[in-house]
Amino acid sequence: MFAQLSDAGRAQQVAQRLADGIALGVLAPGERLPSEPELARRFGVAVITVREGLGILREAGLLRTRRGRDGGSFVATDEDDGRHGLLNTRLHALSQVEIDDIGVYFAAIVTAAAERSADRAAPHDAPRLSAWLADAGFDDAASARTTQSGFFLELAVLSQSPRLVREQIRLQADLGPVLLLGLTSSDVRRDALAQNRRIVRAIAERCPAHARDAAAELVAMLTARVLAAKGRLEKGTGRDEPLSA
Amino acid sequence: MSPSAPDLVELVDETMRGVFAQLDTWRTGIEAALAAEPRAAALDDAVAKLVLPVLADEDSLLVGAGFIADADVLGTRGVHFAWWLGPLEDNPVLGATTGPTRLDLSTRGYTEYLRDFRSLEWFRVPTTTFQAHVTGPYVDHLCTCDYILTFTSPVRLPGDGAVAGVVGADVAVKRLEREVLPALLRAERPTAIVGEYGRVIVSTAPGMPVASIVPDDAKRFECATAPFAVVPSP
Repeated sequence: MFAQLSDAGRAQQVAQRLADGIALGVLAPGERLPSEPELARRFGVAVITVREGLGILREAGLLRTRRGRDGGSFVATDEDDGRHGLLNTRLHALSQVEIDDIGVYFAAIVTAAAERSADRAAPHDAPRLSAWLADAGFDDAASARTTQSGFFLELAVLSQSPRLVREQIRLQADLGPVLLLGLTSSDVRRDALAQNRRIVRAIAERCPAHARDAAAELVAMLTARVLAAKGRLEKGTGRDEPLSA
Repeated sequence: MSPSAPDLVELVDETMRGVFAQLDTWRTGIEAALAAEPRAAALDDAVAKLVLPVLADEDSLLVGAGFIADADVLGTRGVHFAWWLGPLEDNPVLGATTGPTRLDLSTRGYTEYLRDFRSLEWFRVPTTTFQAHVTGPYVDHLCTCDYILTFTSPVRLPGDGAVAGVVGADVAVKRLEREVLPALLRAERPTAIVGEYGRVIVSTAPGMPVASIVPDDAKRFECATAPFAVVPSP
């Protein structure tokens, strides 16, 4: 999340990274952010850029600023307004055709990783992944997002392809919170976990086609949820609801 | 003359011995530093002095190195990384660097799901077997985002000899390839060098591509220094 930024629109990128961190639960509600100079150092940008980025998040209701000795920027809590503001803003900014295309790209990365993993995993890899998945949290939205992100990354690692790993990391940093917003719903969490287990089984059985199919179904389900949330948002319903409720 | 399979084994062993000898030197230095019960910052300085000259070398075989202390050894919360990366080529996640940089885990937010680094092979095996260990080849997403081998060796506390952590070094597969490919290309038959689980590290055999796993019944010439082997095409 704090990897250095390089391109134009840096304040937006700062806001984006922090918003993703908040959506992923890496930054918890009520948590104090590092100081502005510290954030500037980590992102490799000027303090003024950080300040501008924080302003965007404050506008969106994701941050609270307190003055004084114990002051600073804090992640908004559920009692604060607009915790879903920025995710809504992002979803609003993406067109349907863009979301669909993101789904195509996401599926290409994840299915390739799943297929390759089933072909290239060592015998102990599937049991290890299975044990990790069994212990990982999937019961609430935040832990499901962390686990699902980690699972996708582990699949890329098992594929033995550094490029797939880098693409997965980049995809998660750019779009993770949008792609995984469906995990807010307990039904989706249940189905996603079942697909994850199918993928692990296919790796254990060394069956690339099954691993690929399960990964494709999982991504299709998550993408459908993003499109549905976009539809609800544009109709103006559910604006104050969690996005995929 | 074409190198034989045993010749190739010797070449790989010689390269591995170099890495393990480097780890031994660093371990001695780190154990000496630990005897003074240093704070984390003082130990970081000591480790940096050891590893930075090696990593800064333009032609270094090592792409990362350092010491990873078990929780509480230095009074830090959780595992402490005194780890440096050599110069990295441009890559979409980490950007390009021209000199050694310290690993900053806060820039690796996507590893949040890992929970405890001590369960990972490169820490778990040497600290439980008290032996040096080679992990990989594998895609390392913590440090380099590249295909690497990780060499780790246990570091003991002075006094009771309890394990304080691991001293380690990363070798990029693409760099190791430069060491062994010329000889491999001169071999009589297409040949692969494999790591643990028979996973191919470097290969001139189209039927045994890099990162694939060679069949269990393939004829192997085992290396002495690491769980590596030379596997000629049938």
